[in-house]
Amino acid sequence: MILKFFEHIGQKTTDFFLSVYEALQFTALCLIHMARPNSYNPAMRMVLIKQIYFTAVGIIPLFIMMAFLFGSVIIGVVIALATQYNLQSQIGSIIVTFALNEFSPFFTALLISLRSGTAVNTEIAVMNVNKELNTLKEYKIDLIDYLFLPRILSGIVSVTSLSILFAIIMLSSGYIFTLFYMGMDLHTYKTLLANAVGVDNLVILLLKSVAFGFVTMLIPIYSGLKTANAYTAIPISVLNGMVKLFIAIFFIEVLSLVLQSL
Amino acid sequence: MLENIALIKEVHELLATKEAQAHAIEYLRKIHLESIGLKRLNQCTSIEVFYVMVIRAMMAKEQTIFIVTPFFLIKKLAEITPVLEKLALLNKEQKNIIILDNLTNQSHYKGDLCNIIK
Repeated sequence: MILKFFEHIGQKTTDFFLSVYEALQFTALCLIHMARPNSYNPAMRMVLIKQIYFTAVGIIPLFIMMAFLFGSVIIGVVIALATQYNLQSQIGSIIVTFALNEFSPFFTALLISLRSGTAVNTEIAVMNVNKELNTLKEYKIDLIDYLFLPRILSGIVSVTSLSILFAIIMLSSGYIFTLFYMGMDLHTYKTLLANAVGVDNLVILLLKSVAFGFVTMLIPIYSGLKTANAYTAIPISVLNGMVKLFIAIFFIEVLSLVLQSL
Repeated sequence: MLENIALIKEVHELLATKEAQAHAIEYLRKIHLESIGLKRLNQCTSIEVFYVMVIRAMMAKEQTIFIVTPFFLIKKLAEITPVLEKLALLNKEQKNIIILDNLTNQSHYKGDLCNIIK
């Protein structure tokens, strides 16, 4: 009984480390292909353009609307709290840190995960179950170059560009709230932001967006590849993929907070 | 369908998308199927999908093409003759086309010019 218990724990631990090793191996393989110039063949470039269109361009109207709704309310709450605690002198850096470093990349990653992450996970899982991936392999078409790399790159490009757009919308909304709460004019607001924005803020925004974009596509692709050979396994694959993706997004967010606090 | 066919030449011969799709449309035109070029899989009939699969195989460098159970792949196919005629039209590179089928479908091949090996 005790022996079986320990065997079970051992098996689970071995399985866990094996799956982590496989996932890291897959990540490394994708990064190697990303660095290889011959991965960028005409077919891959065509898929990349389409993926960027579907992931970043198609979402723009909804994204702008959501950025105005949520971004404005949240920046408004932050400004109201800062005013309440007499932090008016720090308002510039508070707005910049909150909008650029934290909220914009995080919110964009969540939105892209929900919209495109699920779509990519389902697409790869369906292709896997239908043996379409095997057909591509039979024709000696590299799956990483043709299927995975365009999606990963589109994730990086989309999350980064939409994060910047979100930050711009959020900072613009910030002006409306500073005008009402603090009676601040546009010139003062612009000067305040210009003084508060540092290179480190932009670097953090870019690095976080790239990291979020990478996992937003990589994890759903990997989850889709691991789908068992049955249609009933597709929802399970999407469910597992999304849980892992959300854990990864929160992990990156916490890691960045820890690194910034050092 | 065009993208599906063109993909092989885009990847293996690094042809530009337009050029590879021109090759694909040329093949489709030979059997008067150019109209399916922009259709998706679910918009095509089984025989159209079959010809796309054959053309895609012809785009590859391999000299032998195996077609397994065409009567299963194509719905309501009564005889193989029209298919063989179209395959002859498509096969400009003189590839070896081998059809593998069950003995139960033997009657469908009677009177055709293909060699039957049991």
